[in-house]
Amino acid sequence: MGCEITNRERAGVINPMYDCQPAGAQYAGIGVKDCIPLVHGGQGCTMFVRLLFAQHFKENFDVASTSLHEDSAVFGGHQRIRDGVMTLVRRYPNLRVIPVITTCSTEVIGDDVEGNISACRKMIKEEFPGRKVHVVPVHTPSFKSSQVGGYAECLQAMIKTIATSKAAPSGKLNVFPGWVNPGDVVLLKRYLSEMGVDATVFMDTEDFDSPTLPDKSIHTHGRTTVEDIAGSPNARASLALARYEGASSAEYLKNEFDVPAHVVPTPYGIGNTDALLQKISEITGKPIPESLIRERGIALDALQDLAHMFFADKRVALFGHPDLVIGLAQFCLEVEMKPVLLLLGDDNSKYKKDPRITEMKATATWDMEVVCNADLWELEKRVKSPDHKIDLILGHSKGRYVAIDNNVPMTRVGFPTFDRAGLYRHPTMGYQGAMLLGEAIANTLFTHMEYTRDREWILNTW
Amino acid sequence: MPMVLLKCDKDIPEREKHIYLKVDGEDSRDFLPVSNAATLPGTLSERGCAFCGAKLVIGGVLKDTIQMIHGPVGCAYDTWHTKRYPTDNGHFNMKYVWSTDMKESHIVFGGEKRLEKSINEAFDEMPDIKRMFVYTTCPTALIGDDVKAVAKKVMSERPDVDIFTCECPGFAGVSQSKGHHVLNIGWINEKVGTVEPVITSKYTMNFIGDFNIQGDTQLLNQYWEKLGIQVIAHFTGNGTYDDLRAMHRAQLSVVNCARSSGYIANELKKQYGIPRLDIDSWGFNYMAEAIRKICAFFGIEDRGEALIADEYTKWKPKLDWYKERLKGTKMAIWTGGPRLWHWTKSVEDDLGVQVVAMSSKFGHQEDFEKVIARGKQGTYYIDDGNELEFFEIIELVKPDIIFTGPRVGELVKKLHIPYVNGHGYHNGPYMGFEGFVNLARDTYNAMYNPLLKLAATDIRGPVSTRFLEAAE
Amino acid sequence: MNTEKIDQLYGYVQERCLWQFFSRSWDRQENIDGILKAATDLLTGKELELETPMARLFYADAKIMVADFKQRFPWIEEIGPAQIRDLMHGLKDKLVEFTITKSLNRELNHSLY
Repeated sequence: MGCEITNRERAGVINPMYDCQPAGAQYAGIGVKDCIPLVHGGQGCTMFVRLLFAQHFKENFDVASTSLHEDSAVFGGHQRIRDGVMTLVRRYPNLRVIPVITTCSTEVIGDDVEGNISACRKMIKEEFPGRKVHVVPVHTPSFKSSQVGGYAECLQAMIKTIATSKAAPSGKLNVFPGWVNPGDVVLLKRYLSEMGVDATVFMDTEDFDSPTLPDKSIHTHGRTTVEDIAGSPNARASLALARYEGASSAEYLKNEFDVPAHVVPTPYGIGNTDALLQKISEITGKPIPESLIRERGIALDALQDLAHMFFADKRVALFGHPDLVIGLAQFCLEVEMKPVLLLLGDDNSKYKKDPRITEMKATATWDMEVVCNADLWELEKRVKSPDHKIDLILGHSKGRYVAIDNNVPMTRVGFPTFDRAGLYRHPTMGYQGAMLLGEAIANTLFTHMEYTRDREWILNTW
Repeated sequence: MPMVLLKCDKDIPEREKHIYLKVDGEDSRDFLPVSNAATLPGTLSERGCAFCGAKLVIGGVLKDTIQMIHGPVGCAYDTWHTKRYPTDNGHFNMKYVWSTDMKESHIVFGGEKRLEKSINEAFDEMPDIKRMFVYTTCPTALIGDDVKAVAKKVMSERPDVDIFTCECPGFAGVSQSKGHHVLNIGWINEKVGTVEPVITSKYTMNFIGDFNIQGDTQLLNQYWEKLGIQVIAHFTGNGTYDDLRAMHRAQLSVVNCARSSGYIANELKKQYGIPRLDIDSWGFNYMAEAIRKICAFFGIEDRGEALIADEYTKWKPKLDWYKERLKGTKMAIWTGGPRLWHWTKSVEDDLGVQVVAMSSKFGHQEDFEKVIARGKQGTYYIDDGNELEFFEIIELVKPDIIFTGPRVGELVKKLHIPYVNGHGYHNGPYMGFEGFVNLARDTYNAMYNPLLKLAATDIRGPVSTRFLEAAE
Repeated sequence: MNTEKIDQLYGYVQERCLWQFFSRSWDRQENIDGILKAATDLLTGKELELETPMARLFYADAKIMVADFKQRFPWIEEIGPAQIRDLMHGLKDKLVEFTITKSLNRELNHSLY
């Protein structure tokens, strides 16, 4: 009994859980309005990531490439940065932000990104006097960290470049939820508004779920504005909901502009959401409104129908983004499931010391394993092994065959979830998110009972 | 003035050389779009990289082969779950991807040991698999890892395995096309001729440049079986590593995708004297012609005619049902390259559809010669089209439907234009007779999707929505 | 009169035949020579030698083309062997000009594939 923390022992990866840093940087970049990230690297680094976003959201997002070719690999890609930036500025008159995102190749070549960006700024000034385009250096070599770190890096780089000075206090909160779905962003904004708290969610991805309109206009883009970013130093406080995707930005604003930084538990499950709301209440002095007490009650009411009847003692394997996996493991405990296997997919050594994991380690009364630097082969081997007896998998679509081939029910959650319809629209955070996820899990288990004829008759009378 | 500078390209006038409008009285002696040329940075080009051309398009199709990608994890992640090429052995190729997960220290000190360890681990973890492709990526090529030496060492230590190395960093060439080339040439020079096939028929051929998208290869294979032709190697749909080592024993190379795989057919002709026959596998007219040619080569014309007659009886009425309803549809094709020339005439002849604009990501001038020869006047032929160009072209030609990838498909949905997946298909296969009926059906279902009409309705306008009153 | 007929045949080849657009000039030349010779033989009733694989390939391509010629251009069966040979010469010259000598394809003369 107890929790063991292990590492993938193989050098190589079989079925990665995360994409590389530039992918995460691109995701942060598209969250900004009037922004087209420019990836400095081979064309595949952009084309595939755009496809990945399209698979998950069923939407198109604009990301450009410097299209590194062989001559640049030999002589450097300076001109391609300049040409790329200037072509974007010229052809997209409303463009205001261009994160220049490096990749493994351009970091190995050692292109002077900052120097070239300075040159670009000068060219923009000369050619477009009166127009301000923020060109942001983002260093995200693919051989370090993962999409998780790349997201954090680009977020922080944009704040660093755009938020250069502190002005009059705005009284607002900066909220950094990390790499989450538009459904989560909508929920967080609603909670903040119901509490009467003025806040900015970085990044505001609400419009990643965008309509088809009679006038054919396209609104698929981030909502976070240059002004939002520039105003972040004036906030009353920063709340990082994601330790690994948002905390570094909150820390930066604290160190640079004395904005108090709070790293709160990622609000998956009831308890974590309670903690978030109480923290917001504490910072702002605003009470938690009746509406959220009611929503909390509805979620509890729904989950109680499921927990000790269907969920209790179910052995769950979880994989995906670290804050998601850890937060959902806590949620599992709330509904009496046993998170027996947590997979975290990059070489970040801090996961092991995450206080939430430390706490689970101290209190686990069942066998539990946290595999760091994991790949999905680690999942597959354990799911196949009779010792582990995994009842349920919670994770993203890249693990779908582990579930399919081993006949284990799996509820899709996280990124990407391209093999299920519309999940990006639903919150996983907050009371409503906990309820919706709990119900999705229940329905997954019910369907599985039916197709495997495993006491499906229980549901004859439920 | 058939080369066209679009309005959106006024700041990148080089683009004029890449966009051709076919008009009367001119031909490809006068104008031919520049293609397979360097991409302009920052244009939102649709192109991928050489690594993707090698791994995702060709090598990764094989059903019995580990795909070891020597580089950071992203190159593996990104070329996994992005294709629809099933196999008859449970889709091993689509379920797994392997990476050496290069980190900074390997970049600094070299990644060869890491590669060797990863190769051995992969074979240990999957003991039934004995074949492997190793791909280099941008950083491992830049630091100069000697992947061939590593592969050789592992093969000497594990005599039952065979490894092919493909040096295809993403920055090589200007698009996927470079990766096709490197893999083709590497394979013929290093692996073809190292296995002797079991010959089971008087008639043998290689089927080259078909990747079993949604079962294309498997559908066509029914024809070859009926004709009694042994396919020595499928390059590479539903194919195996060792089949491809035996390509030198075929009497004929039949080529569908000349862009991705023409190189190996050329080399098979040059090195082994195997004739190359180029065909189109999409469309009734073309498929019948292809079968006739193959059968004429082998002297089995009667079998061919019987097969074509059977297939026509079975499928032609269904095709004609759709043709009746699709006549006059304006289609745009924005895909990789060859499908432009494979499809422009076949949709016209078989479905009465007019192709009004075509854009190729990685086609060469040879592809443009083919498509301009086959395509209509008043049609745009675009090399490496980008997003703003697509918007402008849509305004110019107003297509009713676009065959393209899912991401662009999502974009044009907002413009009330339906898309059909021109890469992975909607509900294929699309090759062969049955396949082309599938294509017709998907086109029809897209065109007649009632949601399109609803999307165009602004309910704030004059009341036009019909509703049925309850019966009195 | 021949020019118009050659244009008709050429129009067919452009639209239907992939062999004219092989990757390199020597392959195009080889195909044009081989297939048009086989087609001429077929149209003039000469016996074809099908000993080598390449000869069988040319025959296969020529056979389908000739069948289409006869279907689309009925006049081709009315004219004599001498005019057939003239026409096929003319067609060959035109194909060589369009797909080889005056082709703008910059890759035609690369020495390697």
